Amino acid sequence: MSAASLRLSLAGLRWALGLLACALATGVLVLARDQLTTPTVAVLYLVPVGLSASLWGLLAGVVASVSAFLFFNFFFFPPYFTLQVHAPQDILDLVVFLGVAIFVSQVVGRARASQAAAQAREREAVQLHELGMALARLSTEAGIAQVLAESLHAGLAAAGVEVAVWPKGNEAGQLVRAPAEAAPGTAPQFVVPLLTPRGELGEVRIWRTARLEANEQRLLQTFVGQGSLALEQARTQQAAVRTQVLEESDRLKSALLSSVSHELRTPLASIQAAVTSLRSGAVDWAAPARQDLLAMVEEEVVHLNRLVGNLLDMSRIEAGALKPQRQWNILADIVEGTLTRLRHAAEQHQITVDVPDDLPLVPVDHVLLDQVLTNLVGNSLKYAPAGTTIHIRARRQDERTLAVQVRNQGPPVPAEHLDHIFDKFYRVRAADRVTGTGLGLSICKGIVEAHGGRIWAENQPDGFALNFTLPLEWEGHPAPRVPLEMEA
Amino acid sequence: MSAAPHILVIDDEPQILRALRTILGERKFRVSTASRGEEGLALAAAQPPDVIILDLGLPDISGLEVCARLREWSQVPIIVLSAREGELDKVAALDRGADDYLTKPFGIEELQARLRVALRHSAQAQGPRSTVVTAGPLRIDLAAHAVTRDGAEVKLTATEFRLLAYLAGNAGRVLTHQSILSHVWGDPQMDQVEYLRVYMRQLRKKLEADPSQPLYLLTEPGVGYRFMADA
Repeated sequence: MSAASLRLSLAGLRWALGLLACALATGVLVLARDQLTTPTVAVLYLVPVGLSASLWGLLAGVVASVSAFLFFNFFFFPPYFTLQVHAPQDILDLVVFLGVAIFVSQVVGRARASQAAAQAREREAVQLHELGMALARLSTEAGIAQVLAESLHAGLAAAGVEVAVWPKGNEAGQLVRAPAEAAPGTAPQFVVPLLTPRGELGEVRIWRTARLEANEQRLLQTFVGQGSLALEQARTQQAAVRTQVLEESDRLKSALLSSVSHELRTPLASIQAAVTSLRSGAVDWAAPARQDLLAMVEEEVVHLNRLVGNLLDMSRIEAGALKPQRQWNILADIVEGTLTRLRHAAEQHQITVDVPDDLPLVPVDHVLLDQVLTNLVGNSLKYAPAGTTIHIRARRQDERTLAVQVRNQGPPVPAEHLDHIFDKFYRVRAADRVTGTGLGLSICKGIVEAHGGRIWAENQPDGFALNFTLPLEWEGHPAPRVPLEMEA
Repeated sequence: MSAAPHILVIDDEPQILRALRTILGERKFRVSTASRGEEGLALAAAQPPDVIILDLGLPDISGLEVCARLREWSQVPIIVLSAREGELDKVAALDRGADDYLTKPFGIEELQARLRVALRHSAQAQGPRSTVVTAGPLRIDLAAHAVTRDGAEVKLTATEFRLLAYLAGNAGRVLTHQSILSHVWGDPQMDQVEYLRVYMRQLRKKLEADPSQPLYLLTEPGVGYRFMADA
């Protein structure tokens, strides 16, 4: 039997308690009847009446009054042990007694009722206050819906409460329950919309077979009102955040456009100059100048292609569309591939590689990791003076993490810039005339983070280092071991 | 083969068609062009080309579908053109029967090298296949299961040899991870690329002068591997 229905059957039994109280009192009074006068008995009978009314309510009081009247008549008025009364005076006494008893039980019962009402209101106020406090701490729709569902579940002693928030715009809808287990298969007994001036945000569904008392209806209304208000506030707040993000991204887009137009124009200008002079016939077909111009066109085209590639990558990272195609890879293979492709660009530098052969396989997207390494080494090639050495080093940091470092002997970066060099378009020196989009390192950051790793920069005693980590586990699995076979 | 190899280019970019027609025409190829997939398929049926250059992004049907439909009746080598970030597209095209791919933008030397490999394959498909592949100091006898480097025998495990033989037998072509795994390990469900990685590394250690800068066993990042034999 559930707590609710137990409470219900107790309420039905209350009147019987009034009867029982009088029966007990009668027992005591009958034993002591020789010492008691009839008026004393009448006064003493008011005790169970008053007690019943104050403990179990008006109905119990009235039941006690009537039963006291009957017991009184039966045991204490001649002829004894019948309900008949002979003397007219006795009839009057008994009627007066019944009137007084009912009056007493009414007075006491009403006092009890108003006290109970006051207590209920106090409880309501406390619950409402608690709900208000809980809601004030929340800004997510899911959290608000959860608190509302739990409060209603507790406050209404309902079998189940479901709060549904309709989806709107980019916001997904919410559906939370209290208690958390699946909703009952039946239709809810009560459905209340979550209304705000701007429309219906969702609805509350309540499973409870007993009807709602007036105070419970009030509680429901107030809770639902509070919940709607909190949801409305959360939506407004989210909209404000979105606006801010949009403004920020707008600002970045302008920065991107200005950077890009500049970066695109420079190679285009060279290409146009070279091609027009080649076509004009001003340059002799055999002259070395012709080869120079053609080489320049080719270089600029390669540069433009890289630029467009960077922009595409950045937009994929920004859009969250960068999904690494992970496979178990040998890090040394990837590093060697990167360095093979950078061979020409790296002619002025020495590059040392310290990637142990016994490192576990790493779960990465080969193409994307190659790009990270290309950009990091490219960054060192750009900033470290010619003739210096670039070190690439990989170590197992712990059971689950691989750490990779690209270190050069270039100038240190002022500490206040270290955290920002992975930001888009960030340049340590404004007047930096190094070509590039200012996107290379932020692309690295995007890729490393998409793999679940971390990237950071640090100054070293003899140079500058870019570090990143990669998880060695993939979907909870460590690197597989490949058994090797023996030669025939 | 007739004097001028016939190349069919299927691409919807007029500037690419124009450039390829001019450049390949200069180099004594016979070039026909189509700007839509259906048109390309019809042309390929009417005048069978020696090589098809196929862009994956076509306005009517996808390049992948063109690949698959061509393969229903033709073994003509197909070189796919794809965008830089389209590794998955490349793999899909190769798995549907394409022979090779080129990433846009590309240099003409690269295109010519791919064309040479493709033409050699289309010639080989008609004549008897040589069972000996040479690449620099390497000599791989596919029939005799023998590999020598500078004349000295190189000992390979059974799997290493199967891997090398599959790559060398398709010299010049890019082979996807999936195709290598299912051929070499003999299990079409085999998808453990890590086996391939480890065995490729072993092979390079045994065959390449500098395993960190391989000349013959090349990685195609995100796609597969390619064996470079002597031209």
